[in-house]
Amino acid sequence: MEIQWSLVLFTALTGLAGWLFVCVAVDEFLGRAKKASFPAAVVSIVVAIVGGLASVTHLSHPDRIMGALSHPTSGIFVEAVLIGCLIVCVAVYLVLLKRGAGVGARKAVAVVGAVFGVLLSFMAGESYLMSARPNWNTQLLPLGYLLTVAPAGIAAYLTVVAAVAGKGAGEAAGKDAAASLELKPYPMALLVAGVLSAVGVLAYTLSAGASDGAAFGLLALAVIAGGVVPCVAGALLPKKPESLLALAAASCVCALVGAIAYRCIMWVVTVPVADLFMTVI
Amino acid sequence: MSHYCLVVDLDRCFGCHACEVACKNENGIALGEYWNRVIQVGPHGTFPDLEQYWLPVQCQQCEDAPCVHVCPTGASYRDADGKVLVDKEKCIGCKYCMMACPYGVRSWNAAEKAVEKCTLCGHLTAAGEQPACVASCCASARFYGDLDDPESDVSKAIAAADASSVHSLKDVGNKPATRYILSKKIATWHDVDEISPASDSADPAWFAKEA
Repeated sequence: MEIQWSLVLFTALTGLAGWLFVCVAVDEFLGRAKKASFPAAVVSIVVAIVGGLASVTHLSHPDRIMGALSHPTSGIFVEAVLIGCLIVCVAVYLVLLKRGAGVGARKAVAVVGAVFGVLLSFMAGESYLMSARPNWNTQLLPLGYLLTVAPAGIAAYLTVVAAVAGKGAGEAAGKDAAASLELKPYPMALLVAGVLSAVGVLAYTLSAGASDGAAFGLLALAVIAGGVVPCVAGALLPKKPESLLALAAASCVCALVGAIAYRCIMWVVTVPVADLFMTVI
Repeated sequence: MSHYCLVVDLDRCFGCHACEVACKNENGIALGEYWNRVIQVGPHGTFPDLEQYWLPVQCQQCEDAPCVHVCPTGASYRDADGKVLVDKEKCIGCKYCMMACPYGVRSWNAAEKAVEKCTLCGHLTAAGEQPACVASCCASARFYGDLDDPESDVSKAIAAADASSVHSLKDVGNKPATRYILSKKIATWHDVDEISPASDSADPAWFAKEA
């Protein structure tokens, strides 16, 4: 089947946005990079909206999109609700931050938004479980959807943190600021997320039966860019805090490429029970 | 609930494609798209012991239709008579139903930007006529009716056949209603996931010639 780029970008971008907001929520409790909360949440909501718009480009009749609210059991309905809830939570969080609202309220909204973000990254893959396509019909597929966007979201968060820390303070001051952020949990999270992403990609792809050069090429890209690079960056960051921006940004880009490659694998390897009209979808 | 569907006697079908043409004419289906298609299955075996049959395929009117489950807008739905249909006015063109159909028997209407499929010629049957594919079948191999009505053409055709000769397309939980009658004396039944659809129109050069 042809790669459905609108859906690939939708699931990758909204997943990144969701995991980016997970980091914002976690930092509400850790308090390691408070200055980054607002810009990180802004990036999260912008990426979520762009991702949502990407999904609309897949439709031939977006003018009838409100009809999607009429069938609550469909995967598209669940995705639409989850992305809506995520965007609302991030928007409310931004308002609370701007108005200097109480920490408790901020934490509560951030946690709820983070839950929606994680659920969205999983359910975007769950929508494809259908008996008509045997090598999609495994829980490994949505698990891979969830795991491949986690390093992208964490790296995106660290990129924002680095950008905020270095802003207006000069390069040297920026390095110092980055070094003093005590970000240890985040590089460790990036390392672990990179490992899990690679494992998730391998688990699904091998179970689905990658059988040609294109699938194996995408598999290599998804594992290396989406797993190995973030993993290495996570390992290097504690030793090279002055390179936070470069390592985080590179990890973010590579992890996003890896997440996209993983989603492409799904479209490349799918084989229906039968394709009797031999239709190209 | 009634259960309207088609029954095709493959012992009689000789692959003339008249049902395919009649369907396209009746429903104005674009070149390269189908609501009903005749698939050549075979030849199988070793010369001179060869088997071949023709398998006309269309929406199987599944009891547990996956297209209805995945449709986000209710455009794919089951009507009061139990028929699985498409309301093109509600279709947003997400094509999930096409992905979810185990047999790939849904079509994309590029002009209307909507998914469509066999309607069992509801506009004809409502007026007491037969679906176009049934009316045009010169081998009298196609039957239309309610499986739950023992007096219907489909029930009678199934009752007249040996139970071991009655088949359906591979069931992956969707419970296809359409039945195919193929007796061993004609050919061995092959599940759809075991066959490679073959027909003249599978050849891109054929399309180029046609265009």
